[in-house]
Amino acid sequence: MIAENDRDSLEVLDFTARNASAAPAVKHYGEALVAAAQRDPRIVCLTADLTLPTETDLFRDTLPDRFHQIGIAEANMIGIAGGLARSGEIPFVHSFCVFATRRCYDQIAMQVAYPRANVKIVGVIPGLTTLLGVSHQAIDDLALMRALPNMTVIEPCGPGDVRAAVAAVAAHEGPVYLRLKRADGADESASAKSDFQIGRMQVLRRGADGVLVACGMMVAIALRAAETLACEGLSLTVVDMPTVKPLDPDLAELARSAPLVIVAENHSIIGGLGSAVAELLLEEGVHTGFRRIGVGDSFAEGGSTGYLFEKYGLSKRAIIDAVEDLRQRRRP
Amino acid sequence: MFDRATGDRQPASRTTEVEELARIARSLRRDVINLVAPTGQGYVQQGLGAADLFAVLYFSELRLDPLDPEWPDRDRFLLSTAHNTAIFYATLAARGLVACEAVHSYCGDGSPFEINASERVGTVIEATLGSLGQGLSVGIGMALAARRRHSQARTYVLLGDGELQEGQLWEAALFAGSARLSNLCLIVDDNRMQVEGHIDQVVTVAPIDAKFAAFGWAVETVDGHDISALLASLERARGEERPTCLVARTLAGKGVPSLEGLLAHNLKLPPTVASRALTELSQSAREGSR
Repeated sequence: MIAENDRDSLEVLDFTARNASAAPAVKHYGEALVAAAQRDPRIVCLTADLTLPTETDLFRDTLPDRFHQIGIAEANMIGIAGGLARSGEIPFVHSFCVFATRRCYDQIAMQVAYPRANVKIVGVIPGLTTLLGVSHQAIDDLALMRALPNMTVIEPCGPGDVRAAVAAVAAHEGPVYLRLKRADGADESASAKSDFQIGRMQVLRRGADGVLVACGMMVAIALRAAETLACEGLSLTVVDMPTVKPLDPDLAELARSAPLVIVAENHSIIGGLGSAVAELLLEEGVHTGFRRIGVGDSFAEGGSTGYLFEKYGLSKRAIIDAVEDLRQRRRP
Repeated sequence: MFDRATGDRQPASRTTEVEELARIARSLRRDVINLVAPTGQGYVQQGLGAADLFAVLYFSELRLDPLDPEWPDRDRFLLSTAHNTAIFYATLAARGLVACEAVHSYCGDGSPFEINASERVGTVIEATLGSLGQGLSVGIGMALAARRRHSQARTYVLLGDGELQEGQLWEAALFAGSARLSNLCLIVDDNRMQVEGHIDQVVTVAPIDAKFAAFGWAVETVDGHDISALLASLERARGEERPTCLVARTLAGKGVPSLEGLLAHNLKLPPTVASRALTELSQSAREGSR
């Protein structure tokens, strides 16, 4: 038995916080959502028993009359959001990426996407970023949301991007899926990036030897791969593509003269950013060496993010290997 | 004239005259036959069975304005079993919410009047349902929004008893009871019919009333063809501090004796059967007027 006075000292974790520094982490998303809601009284917030991990505790405490705790019922939450939106409100609904998308796909199709309802679906815990295992790993959410007509799909890559994306999403009329890495205390404070625009890529560095395209957590890894390759005399363009749908068509021109294009995402290689880029390039007549970096056609397992990213090939090493493999093939 | 700015606005004339509502229901039943017969596509038994519910809802209960269909304080009606459209479209046309001529394109290629009602028709269809089990959740969203605006608007959701086999329905029932959504009224069209026949031969949902009561709802069981009983139940629902579930017992094919009780999910109506049905409805009209 634990004595009553000892209980207060016990640490309570929810298995999705990866380290002790997560607790005081700056809630970039949560702060940006409250700021957007203070500008626009139509914004309301829904959560399905995941208030803390989705950073919506800030909203709950600041604007309690516009906060709805729906309970563990994601399909119902999406339906309610559809009803709220049809009554003129702008619901931001929150859960883990898996439950916000795969679990209630039909409800999203009928109550959000088809009627172009002004609902923003916000997921945290993307791809391989959980100890919990396969039930909580969203490796198909980008593919699912991309497949829905009328849906905009966004995965920002850092705190400044996240803050800017929230403002842009709030101002955008129509359904959006916003995929976020959970704040873990590793991020510095940041203000919204001024150059963020839905549907527009950002070229982070330029080089003539190939193009690396990435979204979300893979942007930083792509940049590190480019730095390493620069030491070997290869100069690569690195593109942050936060809007997975609609994809920025300017990428085709950027890639037209590139000897190789590699797309990296924390998602299955099937149906996500890599697929979207392949479709664009082929349809625009861009013929180049091409590789997708992401989870192969398999489910994964629970583990630390670093371990899982190495094991499933979402790593700097995997990107460098892909560059070298494509360069080998080009040699006569 | 009514004042459009106040919640007391009475946009369109309504009636609580039982005889008048019964006459309207008989007329709607004829419309169901006339809509479905030419194409052979549609839901006859469900439409005949729900005609009294539609007459009471659209001609007595709902506060709507045919001249201003997007009036923010209007009552909302959601047909969760969105396939039961022959009676739905007939009612919308009779109430002046859609043009009668437009409804005649029902089931035609390119027509917005599809078998499953969708928002293609316009805002008079409040939500695209028909993927079963979703209507109550959407209704909850509308009821929550009305509550936040301090609007008197009420939300009515009509679903079939078979639809209660969908799990999402019970998520929604749990939430609405917990949130004490007094401006929400669910009507279960309890016709005991689903695609594969009698509901008890598939998966039993009874007792519906006890289940909703246990979820924190006010519950009434009512004869879905007893117009004065329906009016009284809906009036009591407006006084409740909880959401209300009306379990309306209906008879598939009601009003056409040769079809009554026939559990046929999608019934084709050859011309001879349609013609006989119209004759039977005329006979019952004469009896009803005596």
